[in-house]
Amino acid sequence: MNKGSRKRSRRGLLAILSFSLATAGMTACWDNRELNELGIVSGSAYDREDGQWVTTYQIINPSATSSQGGGGGGQGGPSPPFLTFTERGSTIMEAVARSNLTSTRQLYFAHSRITVINEKVAREGIAQLLDLFLRKPDASETVNVFLSERRAGDILNQLMQITKNQGTGIQLMIQQESELTSYYQGIKMFELSMALSSESHCAAIPEIKLTNREIINKIQEAESTDLPTRIALGRLGILKKDRFIGWMSDREAFGLSFMTDKINSAIIPFTSDPEHNEKLDASANLMDSKTIVRPVWEGDHFVMDIDVKGNAMLLELKGKADLSKPAEVSKFERNIEQNILEYINRSWRTVKKLGADVTMFAPLIHRAFPKRWEHIEKEGNWDTVFQEIEIRPRVSISIDRFGLSSKSYKSVEQD
Amino acid sequence: MKPLFTFNNSKKAPKNDQPDRAVPVSRPLSHSLEANLLELQQGVGKSSDVVFRRIGQITDKFPLALVYINGLVNSDKVNQAILQPLTESTDLKEKEMTAEAAFNLIQDQIVKVSDMAELKTFETLQASLFEGNTVILTEGMNRALAADTAGWEKRSITEPSSHGVIRGPKESFTEDLRTGTALLRRRIKSPDLRVEEYKIGQRTQTSIAIVYLKGIADEEVLAELRRRLNGINTDRVLGSNYIEELIGDGGLTPFPTIQNTERPDAIAGGVLEGQIGILIDGTPFSLLAPSVFFNFFQSVEDYNQRFDISSFLRIIRYLSFFVSMMLPALYIAITTFHQEMVPTTLLVSLAAQREGVPFPALIEALMMELTFDVLREAGVRMPRAIGPAISIVGALVLGQAAVQAGLVSAAMVIVVSFTAICNFVIPAQTMANVIRLLRFLMMLIAGILGLFGIMSFLIVLLIHMAGLHSFGVPYLKPVAPMTPRYLKDIFIRAPHWMMKTRPKIAAAQETQKQSSVPEVKPADRSSQHKEDDSP
Repeated sequence: MNKGSRKRSRRGLLAILSFSLATAGMTACWDNRELNELGIVSGSAYDREDGQWVTTYQIINPSATSSQGGGGGGQGGPSPPFLTFTERGSTIMEAVARSNLTSTRQLYFAHSRITVINEKVAREGIAQLLDLFLRKPDASETVNVFLSERRAGDILNQLMQITKNQGTGIQLMIQQESELTSYYQGIKMFELSMALSSESHCAAIPEIKLTNREIINKIQEAESTDLPTRIALGRLGILKKDRFIGWMSDREAFGLSFMTDKINSAIIPFTSDPEHNEKLDASANLMDSKTIVRPVWEGDHFVMDIDVKGNAMLLELKGKADLSKPAEVSKFERNIEQNILEYINRSWRTVKKLGADVTMFAPLIHRAFPKRWEHIEKEGNWDTVFQEIEIRPRVSISIDRFGLSSKSYKSVEQD
Repeated sequence: MKPLFTFNNSKKAPKNDQPDRAVPVSRPLSHSLEANLLELQQGVGKSSDVVFRRIGQITDKFPLALVYINGLVNSDKVNQAILQPLTESTDLKEKEMTAEAAFNLIQDQIVKVSDMAELKTFETLQASLFEGNTVILTEGMNRALAADTAGWEKRSITEPSSHGVIRGPKESFTEDLRTGTALLRRRIKSPDLRVEEYKIGQRTQTSIAIVYLKGIADEEVLAELRRRLNGINTDRVLGSNYIEELIGDGGLTPFPTIQNTERPDAIAGGVLEGQIGILIDGTPFSLLAPSVFFNFFQSVEDYNQRFDISSFLRIIRYLSFFVSMMLPALYIAITTFHQEMVPTTLLVSLAAQREGVPFPALIEALMMELTFDVLREAGVRMPRAIGPAISIVGALVLGQAAVQAGLVSAAMVIVVSFTAICNFVIPAQTMANVIRLLRFLMMLIAGILGLFGIMSFLIVLLIHMAGLHSFGVPYLKPVAPMTPRYLKDIFIRAPHWMMKTRPKIAAAQETQKQSSVPEVKPADRSSQHKEDDSP
């Protein structure tokens, strides 16, 4: 490097340096927030009263939630693991802003886990809420969304046991439910917006409810083993074009899970001996299930071929049975299949009644029949096309495992 | 931050305007013994350790005198090899001969010392005295004899105290230069191992030896090193850092460009890779140059252990380097700017800990880091007897007590402690010290700009490092400029049998097949006997 170019490069470096130093001064900690200035929001709830938004924010109380109570700041006396603020405002953000009038902490939404929307709010449309979540940088789109029939803010006030942080607890609940029971899936804010903007313009949001009227919101009350009021997952709310249109029961939702290939693991009760006994007296664990939906054009309407294949494990059995005989096993399999078919058909009737394509048939038809879809779109008659759709479900389940004994207890008893 | 940009490579030009630069005036010896002795005596003043011993004053035939410095010479050797033969020599007492003949007789027959030299000036005579020689002056001769009787008290070779290894040689250099060169000769028994000696420091006249392998060390680097050594103009060299700073590259960079070690095997390894060792009399710490960034993460231990564990440990060292440099900064950045990056549970527990802490995270971190550096310095200064006190007090200041007092959060104590531990993982103390300083800068930037600031600082640091050189070798070689085949010994340590070529990182003249042994097939590689590849 000769002298001149070195001099030039040094001048360049100095320029870069002074520039970066100058910018450092200008930024002046604009985004600097100490942890003890933050109110970490774990859940939010939205209601509407008298034409105004009523927002409730659940803020984690760190010193009560943290395991070791924290250093230095651990004053005696139990304090609740979270606190809630309820504010009113003509817009959502106005309500958030008004929260600073009562709260010592700046609301921080990045760690929010759940959002509860009141049914009435959902009936009026949630477009504004969706926009807020997608627009605001620190609002996390990964919050789980729930619907509530009662005032949504009440849900956030309810204390929870074991998992003290209620927002996280509810998220765990819905995750476990979809993992082990598969009646319905939790839906996150971004999934909701994606579903509502897809061809079918429909989405399903699980309901969250309290099992009793009274809210447990004092820690002393939460100290009993069997809480009189608990948080529970309820039905499945159906949205069409950002508006709530109706509920599906959990059984109907179960059928929907089969139709949309959302089954992870499920328990299916069935009748072990339908010829003698109509009662459900056995159950199997569906460990692995795969659904393939194929639209077929049948002259004047679509028929959806729904193929469900799965493996199950036998879990309980009342009557006599010898599982070493293939004929008996296949009898069980037929019964399970019959039950699943029943779930699907019942679910489909409700879906059709609601007229909401939560089954996500629209994207499938679009993909399989792009021309015809164009036509449907031009006509704008998807709703009538949807009403004419017929489903043709086929279920095939095989019981692969019988657990630890190959005979039912009753058979052993009689031997 | 500013010094980082000083690309000053040419500051080592000799400064000739220094006032006390010795003007070489040579004063010859005279023919008169008394005159010579008087002159010498005046030269050293009334120093009590200079011994003047006159012999043959009674016989008066050939009066002579021994001059030596008590403590620098081996008294037994002076007595038995010089004094006794001189006083007992009948020839000298009885034979008639010229002063010249007597002088030759003393030199050839009487004095029984292997290394003898003739001196003609007072300057050489003095220098010879200070090296532990015994000077023999005779009447009627304007020359003197210097007999090598050096034998001062030396520390014996001990285990290295600052560069310990588990499996490997347990010898370290001592303060004595000759011991050092001997330790190297014992390791590299090749005629190509050259030792060049310099005297540096007008007053200290410290001996410095550069050690290299002829044919492997780069001649250009050697020439540059000689030029820089000759350019040194100082009155003292009392340790290896004097030399390191006077000949090192990089201006005011915090990064070291010369390694130092007290391990002869480390110097031998470096010399075999083409580096040049610089041994300095008076300190057990020797230097290795040129050194690139990655040299400071290699340890002799790597070559004494199997390659797999060595590679693992080396990766851990690089990780520790980054952790030690950035952990407090990352903590500050994440807890004050980017809270969304922390898992909720952790964030809540961090927030709980911070509930009662009075200071912002930046101040808290700076405070704790400074406390640790104070403790560390105190630990070095403390007399060994009260050493345990520091660990007890330290545990209070940097521990649970500080947390309970509500001064700092528990997480900060863990961050600071882990940072400190990581700092000790880096084998080269000089490199560890770099990040001790950079850490503070980084914390400040993280406190102002968050992760963006940390990233920008890292980029600036990288640019700076890419611009550094050590004796003409780019500091980030062989990564930048990239030479993939030299990477075998950088981030990992490949098995010895895989490192067939001598990497050119240390400016070795050429890439050579290892040990010039015909290539060994993998099948019988176990019997292969290789001699180099380990810096």
